[in-house]
Amino acid sequence: MDLRLVRSGAVVAGVLALAGLMLRPLEAPAWRAMRAQQPALKLESIQGALGQGVTVGLLGGFRAIVADLFWISANAAWDQEDLPATQTLIKLVTAIDPRPLFFWINGANMIAYDMPHWRIRAAGGYDAVSAAEQNRFDREQAEVALKLLQEALAQHPEEASLYICKANIQLNRLKDTAAGAESYRMAAAQPNAPYFAGRIYGELLKRMGRKQEAYVWLKQFYLTLPKPGSAQATPWQIETAMADVVLERIHELERELKVPKEQAFKG
Amino acid sequence: MTTPTTAAAIEIRGLIKDFTVGLRGVKLRAVDGLSLRIPEGQVFGLLGPNGSGKSTTIKIILGLLEPTLGECRVFGVPSHQVDSRLNVGYLPEAPYFYRYLSGTELVRFYARICGVPSERREARVREVIEWVGLAAAASRRVGTYSKGMLQRIGLAQALVHDPRLIILDEPTAGVDPVGSAEISELILRLKAQGKTVLITSHLLAQIEDICDHVAILDHGRLILEGRVAELVGQKNRQALIVDTLPPAELEALRAWLAERGHALSVEQPRARLDQLFLSKVSRPGNAGGKEGGA
Amino acid sequence: MNAPTRTGVPFSFGRLLVVAQNTFLEAVRQKLFALLLLLAIGLGASAQLFREFNFGSSELKFIADFGFGAMIFFGSTLTIAATAQLFFSEIENRTALTILAKPIWRTEFIFGKFLGVFAVVGVFCALTTLLLAGLLFARESALMEAHPEAFEHGRIIHYADVFVAGGLQWLKFGVLAAFTLLVASYSNTNLFTVIMGFFVLVVCHLQYLARDAYAQVASVPLRLLVRLLGYVFPNFQVFNVADQVGMGAGLNHLMALRIGGYGLAYIAIIGVLAVYSFRNREI
Repeated sequence: MDLRLVRSGAVVAGVLALAGLMLRPLEAPAWRAMRAQQPALKLESIQGALGQGVTVGLLGGFRAIVADLFWISANAAWDQEDLPATQTLIKLVTAIDPRPLFFWINGANMIAYDMPHWRIRAAGGYDAVSAAEQNRFDREQAEVALKLLQEALAQHPEEASLYICKANIQLNRLKDTAAGAESYRMAAAQPNAPYFAGRIYGELLKRMGRKQEAYVWLKQFYLTLPKPGSAQATPWQIETAMADVVLERIHELERELKVPKEQAFKG
Repeated sequence: MTTPTTAAAIEIRGLIKDFTVGLRGVKLRAVDGLSLRIPEGQVFGLLGPNGSGKSTTIKIILGLLEPTLGECRVFGVPSHQVDSRLNVGYLPEAPYFYRYLSGTELVRFYARICGVPSERREARVREVIEWVGLAAAASRRVGTYSKGMLQRIGLAQALVHDPRLIILDEPTAGVDPVGSAEISELILRLKAQGKTVLITSHLLAQIEDICDHVAILDHGRLILEGRVAELVGQKNRQALIVDTLPPAELEALRAWLAERGHALSVEQPRARLDQLFLSKVSRPGNAGGKEGGA
Repeated sequence: MNAPTRTGVPFSFGRLLVVAQNTFLEAVRQKLFALLLLLAIGLGASAQLFREFNFGSSELKFIADFGFGAMIFFGSTLTIAATAQLFFSEIENRTALTILAKPIWRTEFIFGKFLGVFAVVGVFCALTTLLLAGLLFARESALMEAHPEAFEHGRIIHYADVFVAGGLQWLKFGVLAAFTLLVASYSNTNLFTVIMGFFVLVVCHLQYLARDAYAQVASVPLRLLVRLLGYVFPNFQVFNVADQVGMGAGLNHLMALRIGGYGLAYIAIIGVLAVYSFRNREI
């Protein structure tokens, strides 16, 4: 073996190792920040579903695109009303790349809203399947979707849209107003919550007969809303905050709760 | 730049070059204790069979290889230093240049590498291209050039910075006799300008015609060196060329010489085949062009 | 022996640029850029495909993912192939002999080669990024009209981030080109260089796994080896910020600067190592 080649190879490896050591302070903060936004891949949970090439692609920086491709497959399975494939692919996509909310929300909606219809159709259609059986399908699929959303919330605990999705499934599929209201309350408490979340929470409290609670909530909520003419808010925020509608609901509740005029909310 | 002196253009002392072959690190000695002095202003032929160490020696002179032992200087500068190549032009054996460049672009590229000042560059590029007789093909892509044209554009790039030493490694390999003769003419004109030319060639007749000095290498060793005339001339013999004699007169002459102790051998003189060839075939264009251009 | 007749030749950035220019020109005339055109057509076609799925505003994420995915895939291939090809064409055609027989430093030659390839890859990244940004902008504008509620806070895509992500990919390709050049300076064949180039690409993308695994390795020698591997190869994953484009929060520009510094430092170090290795190479 040429000694000069061995020596030169050793110098190159040594300098590279030294460079790696010296440049670590430059790389490590960026890498840490990146890892924080990009949860570790739980390969053991998905490895069975992937070939080796896909696994290397995933590890080698093509995670987003692999997830996108599986999402397209999930859509193709959805188009065929193939329940096991769609459900498996949704779980696979969210395991590969749990960052996009789109995967979680759309996946949960497919499971909760579309799959019960598929099951009913597969069991003979709406006329053949009893109402109790239909309800069972609704409940079972809603529970699967809620479980998926629970995983989503573990990844994105401050994401209002996930709470809203959860609330809608609880309200529309499980007919559970109390649980839906609680989810809307959670949604309204998040930093990026849309204004309608707080309004709907108040409305649900009222619908459940908890008018006093609704009254207290809406008064507090009203104070946080941007009002017309507010310099800090954009026209879009002012328009969607609908402060006048909230004030009207407060006055309705005052009438229903018979709040004395002098104690009426002035805003 | 071209001041002829008797100083050495190249001076090699005790040069040894070993190559490591294979994974087991077997050493192969390509040059074995070579010492050589090439004075300025000469055309010097480096001869030897394949594998005799000619190309290795040239690469060491050009700083492309490092000697295992010994030293090599070009105009007094150790050959591993970049400045040793300031006054050297090199044409490698069977060169392939950038096929996608035109002749002018190619020579301009080398002129820029050599640091020919921008205000003189274009004129100099035109000048050397004309000098090697490629003016008509200057705007054509090098990829379309014939073997002889490639050698000539190679010579142009070697000369573009007006070097004092020009090294030509098998400049006529694969070139037809016409092209070969044209290259020989160019070399003689370089000599006339006082340039030093180091040339390797398998065409010994060509070497004999144009070289002042030759050195012969075998297995990396210098086995013979000297002036061409001294090496190939037979000092104790002479040739008299006369019109064809009738047999009786020839016998009389032989007897006359024998009385004085001289032997006579009679042969039919022959023209050299390359000269015959060149006198019969048409030669395209003018190989020279501007006298004294390079 | 004679006294030297000339003084030393200083390092010249001009000569380096001449080599770089020629390398770039060679790549252009070898029609490597035809690949870019194919890519552009591929990107346009894939953007049309996503419309079929009615993803709404998330379609933009798909376009960004596929655009950057194509850039990473084709860019890596182009970088390795172009570096190896443009280096070995000089050796195999013996043009390296004619260049290095001139008064030029090998440092100028190697960095010139690098700069030429870096420029080729730079044009590739710039064109791809521009094309992608154009596609995203056109599609986002159309989606804003179709689904105004999804764009209540304005545009989703931070276009400056698209260009930052493209720029960081370019730097990553620069590190890869320097590495390929380092391999080429040792190697005797184009094929070996290309294979090693892809090996380096994969290892640099997966080196974080070695770092993650380090703490779990029980055997001390193996642990040291894993640690060494983590240091010898740069972390290419850190350049892949494109995943963040179109996902809400914009990029942290200080982080992008750090990554940029990391890439540039590696280019300089590996470039110097390639020069060190090439200096000893017998042409």
